Amino acid sequence: MTEQKLGFSPTRRRFLSGAGALTASGWIAGAAGSWTLYPGRAHAADPIKMGIVTDITGALAPSGNANWQVAQFTVEQINKDGGVLGRPIQLFLEDTASDPNIAVGNVRRMIQEHRPDVVLGGITSAMRQAIKDPIVTRGRTLYIYPQLYEGQECTKDLFCTGPTPAQQCDKLIPYLIKVLGKKRFAMPSANYVWPQVINKYARKIIEDNGGQVIFEEYYPLDQPEYSATISKIKDGEVDCVFNTVIPPGLQPFMKQLYLSGFQKNGGILTCLYFDENTLNYLPAAEMEGLYSCLDYFQAVNDPFSEKLQQEYSKRFPGTKYLFTAGTAATGMYRGIKFYEVAVKETKGDLHRDVVAAAMDHAVIENGPGGGAAMVPGHRHCKMNMYIATCQLEAGQPYYKIVNKADMLDPREC
Amino acid sequence: MADTISLIFNIVSFASVMVLIVLGLGVIASMMGIFNFAHGEFVLLGAYTVYLSATAGLGLWFGIIAAPIVVGILGLIIERLIIRRFYGSLIIAMLGTYAIGLVIRETIRGLLGGHYESIPEPIGGAFSIGGINFSIWRTIIIIATILILTGSWWMLARTPIGLRIRGALENPMLARTCGISTTKLYALTFAFGSALAGLAGALIVPLYQLSADIGIRFLVQAFLSVMLGGVGTFQGPVLGAGTVGVMASGLPWLVPPVLADPLVFLIALIIVKIRPQGFIAAGRS
Repeated sequence: MTEQKLGFSPTRRRFLSGAGALTASGWIAGAAGSWTLYPGRAHAADPIKMGIVTDITGALAPSGNANWQVAQFTVEQINKDGGVLGRPIQLFLEDTASDPNIAVGNVRRMIQEHRPDVVLGGITSAMRQAIKDPIVTRGRTLYIYPQLYEGQECTKDLFCTGPTPAQQCDKLIPYLIKVLGKKRFAMPSANYVWPQVINKYARKIIEDNGGQVIFEEYYPLDQPEYSATISKIKDGEVDCVFNTVIPPGLQPFMKQLYLSGFQKNGGILTCLYFDENTLNYLPAAEMEGLYSCLDYFQAVNDPFSEKLQQEYSKRFPGTKYLFTAGTAATGMYRGIKFYEVAVKETKGDLHRDVVAAAMDHAVIENGPGGGAAMVPGHRHCKMNMYIATCQLEAGQPYYKIVNKADMLDPREC
Repeated sequence: MADTISLIFNIVSFASVMVLIVLGLGVIASMMGIFNFAHGEFVLLGAYTVYLSATAGLGLWFGIIAAPIVVGILGLIIERLIIRRFYGSLIIAMLGTYAIGLVIRETIRGLLGGHYESIPEPIGGAFSIGGINFSIWRTIIIIATILILTGSWWMLARTPIGLRIRGALENPMLARTCGISTTKLYALTFAFGSALAGLAGALIVPLYQLSADIGIRFLVQAFLSVMLGGVGTFQGPVLGAGTVGVMASGLPWLVPPVLADPLVFLIALIIVKIRPQGFIAAGRS
């Protein structure tokens, strides 16, 4: 049977013949074409058209490719089980090239050319801001944004399936203060929107729980030298570093913090976006004892999550693009499943407003880390959140789940 | 007291990183009059050589020793194939180096799959004197910078080949008349500058993270250093790099870090305005 088999054929547009593999692996930035993933022929009904717009090339290529793989994986599973009410899902990929300027044109073209019923994707907030207009306003299409982010996205017909600041902070910070007994926080941050907004939220939670923010400081994203910051951490007797510095500034910061003996002297470091991808990103010693809070870790071993991981590894053996929470991959899975549930409820009506109305209260029973439920009227979803700490076993870092919050509210919009 | 010492140590170590990076750029700019826009990518290539050596199981030290050789040879090839055609028009040469840099950078980005790679120090950790921690690798970088500086200066100022290079720089026509092959010297100088960049990349990458953009981070500040120190001498760019390094690492202690970067440029531009020829004027009369 050809039902499980999926054809993979590039459309010709703007596509350098023979360069496809290079493009997909991130070799040729900006020259990416569009791709279409056709469902097997066994489906007689018209396919549901799903657009994936993500960063296949450029700086965010590792995350973008993970998103695309998870999208393929999820859709293949749905199609294998007979599609949505008998209709298969057909995927269209558009590369956003980690560059909002390029993305706007690409996305607009995709919408005009393929008229997708729903679009999922975008990783950075800058990207979401850039592409939501061509998708939602001009394209009049439903848009699902999968990444953990700073919140405050309350556009009609735009649904967010990644964790919000409330979901990442509401359990973690009280845990740091009440359970670990850390009270003096430092907030070293990369200077862009996510750290700025999440710090504002985190500061409130810290102060509400009796903690204190010693300093909050922003750096250029690629700052190579942090001795002034390290000295402030020492002088301020900081015992918890709430880090939102991101690569490429991350490594020098982590190295200098570690060498200053902060962790050795009992200090706690948290990095909200750290998932399995970042485990081997930094030397194991610098990772030890680090805390993160996400909607899923591979250490979460409920039967469904475990099976999902196994099947994903079977579909993409030895892939370097992991199915993790920090790269929006789990949000992508949830987004597609939410859409499936919503279309089932509308009995196959794909009209945007009808599906949006069903999405508004959609519930998925299972997913990586557990089920999720849209909060009606808020376009964000409740989900389980896990606090994990990085530990070492024979020099190899791994996450150990230390706390779980059931169906945490996103508190957005 | 302890704070002051560790402050000085950190500033000196970052200034050393800047000097290391600027050295190759300065040598090429001063001796050949070409601003090599691919310099950041030569630094990247040096770092990438260490990464390749480590992943191939040859070890970090092998990579660090191989980096200047690999990048030097590549510099030689690039000079012979491309740069030498543009000595007549320096602006075109500059744009040419930019294109070369772009190709190198994007190729390595592809090879790395866009990932950031962490490269450990060959000797990690810290040692402490009187309760103050000093990073071992940073100390090694400071020592290496001093050695490389002395070595380069000695080569340019005290050896016959250095004499020829300086001669060819000051009066190429006369040098050629005296039977010195300036084309060969230029090729050698470019290779030497590239090798220095490769070595710099290899030494600094354990402090940072290997990504395709590692060179770009320093490139603009490196140009600023050369401008500040003055083109045409060996000492000028080094002094400029030291100054930029001290400012870049010292200012975040005084002002919010986001302001430190622009402030470095502002101060440097003011200095250049006051001393347009740089710290050390070109041409030994």
